[in-house]
Amino acid sequence: MRPREQTISVGGIDVHAWTGGQGEPLMVLHGAGGNRGWTRWVEQVAQRFTVWAPTHPGFGRSGDAPWMESIDDLARFYLWFIDAAGLGRPHVLGHSIGGWVAAELATMSPRSIDRLVLVAPGGLKPERGEILDIFYHPPAELRTLSVHDPATIPEWDELFGRAPTAAELETAVRNQEMTARLTWKPYMHNPRLARFLPRVTNPALIVWGREDRVVPLDCGEQYRRLLGNATLSVLEKCGHLPPIEQPDTFARLVIDFLRGPIRP
Amino acid sequence: MKLYYFSEMPHHEFPDEEGAKYPSLRLDFPNRFFSPEKARANYQRYLDEYEFADRAGFDGLMINEHHSTPSCVNVSVNMTAGILARTTTRAKLLILGNILPIEDNPVRMAEQLAMADLISGGRVLSGFVRGTGVETWWANSNPVHNRERFEECHDLILKAWTTPGPFRWEGRHYHFRHVNPWCVPLQKPHPPIWIPGTASPETAVWAGRRGYTYVPFLVPFDVARELFDYYRQGAAEVGRPAGPDDFGFLICAVTADTKARALEAGRHFVWRMGPTLRGPVEYFSPVGMRSRAGTQFAMRARPRSLATMSYDELLDGHYIIAGTPDEVIDRFAHVRRELGIGHLLLEAQESRMDHPTTMRSIELMGAKVIPAMATG
Repeated sequence: MRPREQTISVGGIDVHAWTGGQGEPLMVLHGAGGNRGWTRWVEQVAQRFTVWAPTHPGFGRSGDAPWMESIDDLARFYLWFIDAAGLGRPHVLGHSIGGWVAAELATMSPRSIDRLVLVAPGGLKPERGEILDIFYHPPAELRTLSVHDPATIPEWDELFGRAPTAAELETAVRNQEMTARLTWKPYMHNPRLARFLPRVTNPALIVWGREDRVVPLDCGEQYRRLLGNATLSVLEKCGHLPPIEQPDTFARLVIDFLRGPIRP
Repeated sequence: MKLYYFSEMPHHEFPDEEGAKYPSLRLDFPNRFFSPEKARANYQRYLDEYEFADRAGFDGLMINEHHSTPSCVNVSVNMTAGILARTTTRAKLLILGNILPIEDNPVRMAEQLAMADLISGGRVLSGFVRGTGVETWWANSNPVHNRERFEECHDLILKAWTTPGPFRWEGRHYHFRHVNPWCVPLQKPHPPIWIPGTASPETAVWAGRRGYTYVPFLVPFDVARELFDYYRQGAAEVGRPAGPDDFGFLICAVTADTKARALEAGRHFVWRMGPTLRGPVEYFSPVGMRSRAGTQFAMRARPRSLATMSYDELLDGHYIIAGTPDEVIDRFAHVRRELGIGHLLLEAQESRMDHPTTMRSIELMGAKVIPAMATG
């Protein structure tokens, strides 16, 4: 099924979104790099679920939200988006800062969502190591640090294989600015999030790359301990971008989890 | 034209090959290369030079502030202003300037500036700056808020200086229940405000609207003229004529008894054009710190980095002026003619320029150059 693009107005902000697929709704929240749209893993998951992939306010083709200050603002916004788009009680999958948004959103209103997939989310301060300062590194260096091995990434050429256009560079700067707006201080974490995570007893899958150099795997272990009903799945030879580094494995994990039995 | 003496108070007290091992001398270069013993002596020396510049006849003493860098270890302009307020007697104290966006307590800053103004007998010229990205990293201040915080911090300082307290301030970035400083400036309605600029048209327009003295730093003449046009545009919006007294310009300058000595001393300025500005763009301009208009202007305005210029090119471009007093007078007059400015700020000591050379330059400036430039 071909995805379509639409604009949904929420709180005065025009939110751009990709939607497509069939089955129960799954809201997908992207990371700091922006909404990559209908990539290979989404295509596979959309065979079983109706995927809603909105572009965060301040990113890509969505409207501005200079008043937002933190990831919890964005999480509160997405609870509103769920109502505005008529998603009912969707599954929510978030990657990196999108995973952090999903975790915050779940702590605010766990009954508004069904199952939760967190992919290398920020949000917690590592007990060992540090979250990479993504604003401190030039883009090319950051890309190298984000993945384990570019040679193994099937969509590398499609996603990163050519020089970006001027419009794409402008979008990249805008995405970075909004990320800075939301995550600058405390950097990439909310010191209070750990206190609220035990409220979330929704079935949760946490996915991490063993070689993640952006957010330490230590944070994944913390999420698993703090969430009431979570499993942690660690992908070998994988960095911070499991959905594009290992799209087939990742899609399989997600589908199996969302369709699987509820653990007692 | 008025002349101002300025030293960045450098700490070039380490082997250059050590600094070259790091991506930048700013932020990355470890402070184990900072020598407290050398710094102890240097601070005394730099303050002696400022005090001598006051006695020699400079119209003003400019001080600035940077962090996490050996290029400038003057870490608090207001502390230095407090010292010079007491130990000098006549020159203006040009604080250029306080880095507003990284300041968390504008009320304290308003009080400190007021105290320096009072101790100096009303000699403070209060510069406000947005800072480089390095200072934003140092303070861990969100760069996307830089301009908003600059303007709100400025507004609160001005209100604290001019509006009787107590009053409350509930802004976007600053929140104070009781603003009632028991220390307000001697100068009324407040000390003159100065604003530097290198690339932001918005800043030039903003300064023009408000009638603040505007000073581009180390840019080509055509860029300075374009920024002055933006300033005039802002001034015209409020129906205010803009003249030479509204405009300044900063260059590096040294004089000596012979041309050869001056040219030798002037080479010390090359350090501040290249090695101290080396580093990833993210350090100097983190995401969101500069507006789109500012970025576009910067791309257009400065096609060549100062770091890529030879010493001769820096001399030809008037980024550095080094010569006998007569030669320096000639070049300063040229700058004045080209730009129509009323204030020339001289970065007059740098890198490893030694104390005797610096003192002789100050002495010659006072004896010959300042009197020659005083008219017109």
